[in-house]
Amino acid sequence: MRRRAFLRGAAGTGLALGAGLSPARGLTAVLGPGPNLSRVEARYYVKLPDREVECRLCPRFCRLGDKERGYCGVRENIGGTYYTLVYGKVCTLNVDPIEKKPFFHVLPGTSALSLAAAGCNVNCKFCQNWEISQVRPEQIEHFDLPPDEAAAKAKDMGCAAIAYTYTEPTVFFESMYDTAVQAKRRGVRNVVVTGGHINPEPLADLLGVVDAVKVDLKGFTQEFYKDYVRGDLKPVLETIKAVAKSEVWLEIVYLVIPTLNDGLDGIREMAKWVKGEAGDHVPVHFSRFVPMYLVKNLPPTPVSTLDAARDAARGEGLRFVYVGNVPGHEGETTYCPGCGRAAVRRVGYRVEAVKLKRGRCEACGTPIPGIWA
Amino acid sequence: MAVSRVVVIKASRPWTPAGAADPAVMARMYARGFALLTGEKDDPGAVSSLFGSGDRVGIKVNTIGGKALSTGPDVALPLASFLSRNGLPEKNVFVWDRTTRELRDAGYAVSAGRGGIKVFGTDAPGVGYGSDLVSHLGVGSLYSNIQTEFATASISLAILKDHGLAGVTAGLKNYFGAIHNPNKYHDSRCDPYVAEVFDAPPIRPKHRLTVLDALVVQFHKGPSYHARWAAKFGGLIFSLDPVAADTVGWTIIERLRAGAGLPPLAGEGRAPAYLATAARMGLGRTDPAAIETVEETVS
Repeated sequence: MRRRAFLRGAAGTGLALGAGLSPARGLTAVLGPGPNLSRVEARYYVKLPDREVECRLCPRFCRLGDKERGYCGVRENIGGTYYTLVYGKVCTLNVDPIEKKPFFHVLPGTSALSLAAAGCNVNCKFCQNWEISQVRPEQIEHFDLPPDEAAAKAKDMGCAAIAYTYTEPTVFFESMYDTAVQAKRRGVRNVVVTGGHINPEPLADLLGVVDAVKVDLKGFTQEFYKDYVRGDLKPVLETIKAVAKSEVWLEIVYLVIPTLNDGLDGIREMAKWVKGEAGDHVPVHFSRFVPMYLVKNLPPTPVSTLDAARDAARGEGLRFVYVGNVPGHEGETTYCPGCGRAAVRRVGYRVEAVKLKRGRCEACGTPIPGIWA
Repeated sequence: MAVSRVVVIKASRPWTPAGAADPAVMARMYARGFALLTGEKDDPGAVSSLFGSGDRVGIKVNTIGGKALSTGPDVALPLASFLSRNGLPEKNVFVWDRTTRELRDAGYAVSAGRGGIKVFGTDAPGVGYGSDLVSHLGVGSLYSNIQTEFATASISLAILKDHGLAGVTAGLKNYFGAIHNPNKYHDSRCDPYVAEVFDAPPIRPKHRLTVLDALVVQFHKGPSYHARWAAKFGGLIFSLDPVAADTVGWTIIERLRAGAGLPPLAGEGRAPAYLATAARMGLGRTDPAAIETVEETVS
C-alpha cells in the first residue's frame, strides 16, 4: 500500500493474523508488538544496578539498559528484568525430511517437525533465511505454539524428531529447551541446527535434553567471521568441542562460498582440526552457496569446488564427508569406511536405500556411527 | 568553506506547572531557532528556505525512552504546527517513529486521519518496511516506507542523551529507527554504522534539518531514564549540519557530566567515534573551528 491509500484511512483497520507456516517473504505486512509477543523471563542473565542487565546466553554478553534489546532483537530488558519475547511463538513450522537439516547420520528417511522463531545472534551476509532470522519478532507473523503443544504435534504427526532450525535457536533458548523436555517425555527426539554462538553453561544444559546438534561452521578464520558473520570463530569451535565430548550426536556444515572461504588450504586446516578435536567420525557437509541477502555478487559454488573440498577433507582423514545442495550428487551417499559400499543412498532429501543393520554395514559389519533407530 | 551554524535556543521557563513543555514557549523557541538558522526575516521565509511547498515533511522522533525520556508530543507537535502555520499544508506534515506502541508510551495520540497532524509508526497497518534490501557500505537494511515513500523531506527531531554503547544518541542515530534491524548495528560503539545509515540513499538526500530536544538531557547511564543523571537543560538545538548538531550536543553532555563529577565519555571508552567517521564521510563537521554556535534565550 502506498502513501495515498494509507492516508485515506488505513489507520484503525486491523491486519489479519494468518497462521503462516512458511518463512515470511517480505516485511511489508508489519505487525505491531502486543499479543503476538511473549513476556517470559529469560534465562542466563544477571541483573545489574540501575535497571541494567547483562545477557549471558551467548558470547556477545549484551549489556542493556531499560527498554533495550539485545543484538538478537528478541530479548528485551523491561524495567531491569530480562524477557524473551518469543517464548512459545513460532514464525515457521514445517515437516521436513531430517536430511534437509542436514542430518545424514540421524534416523534417515524420517521427518522432523521443524520450527523457528525470529532472530539471530550473528548477521551473516550470506544468510539464506534472513527474512526471518534478521528481523525483530514483531516484524513478521508469529503464532502460538507452546512447548507442550509443539511436542504433542510432533508426536501426532509421526515425526521422529523436532528440529530447532531456520533461524538461530540459541536466541529462543527457553522455548527450545522446554519443548525439548516435553518432546523427550513423549519419545520424540530433538535436533538443533545452530551457528554455535552459545555460552558453555546454556550449551551444557541444552546437551542434556537434545539428541543431535548440527553446527554451521561458516569459515575457519576469525577474519571471515568478523567480516562476513559479524561474530567470532573461537566460541563456535568451543561449541563443536563441547558437543563432540558429550553424548549428543554432532554434524558440521561448511557453506562453501566462492572466493570467500573456498581455499583448499583453509579447508584442509579445518578438516584437520575437526579430526583432532571432534573426531574423524564426525560428518562434514560441504554445502553449495547460492547468492542471497547481502552477497549477491558471487555465483553459486561450482560443483567442482565442492568436490575439491570434499577430497581435501577426506584426504585429511575425515571418514564421512558429504556434498550438500546439489541433488543427485554422489556425495550425498554414506559410504561404509570398511568396504566402501553405499550404506545410505540419498537423492536430494530422499533416502533411496539404507543398508545398515543395527548401526553396522550390512555388507561387512563395520560400525557406522550415528543415531539409526 | 562556510562554517556550520548550530543554534542553541534556551528558554527561561520552558515547562508548564504540570511538567510538560509549554506550547507557547516552544513556538517561540522554534521561531527563533529557524530565524537564526536560516537568516530569514520571517517565519514563512525560514520554512520556505528549507522546504518546498509540495514537500511532505516527516518529523522523525525518538520514543524508545517512554514518557520520561522521549521527544514527546509537547515538543514535536509545536514543530509540526510551526511548519503548517508557515507555509506547509498540515496534511503534508507528520510525526513518526518505528512503532505505535512506543509513540503511545511517549504520550502521542496516534492518528492518521484526514484532519490534524498525523502521528503514526512504521508498524501501522499498510505502512511497513520496503521489500528491497538497501545495502550501503557496511549496512544492509530495509527502510521504513515512511522515510522512503511518504516523506519527501525529513527532520530528525531527536532527544539528546547519553548512550551506553554509542556514547551519545542524537540526530544522526535517531535514523536507526528508520531501519528494520538497528540491533545489528550497535557493535563497535555503533561506528561506522550510525554514519552509514544516515549516508544511505533513503536518508541523506531527504534530510533537511536536525533539531535536538535538549530540554531534559540524560547525561549518564542512557539511553534509559535515570532521574539522578537527567539535567533540565531547557534547550533546543538546531542545525542544517547533522554532524555539527550532534557534536554540539556531545559537548553539552560532557559539560553536564563534568558538572556532576563524572569522567568524560572517552574516559569510559564511550566517546561517540561515529561522529568523526561521519565527518570523514563528508556528512558534516566536528571540528570546533568549523562550527559556529549561536546561543539565545527566549522568555
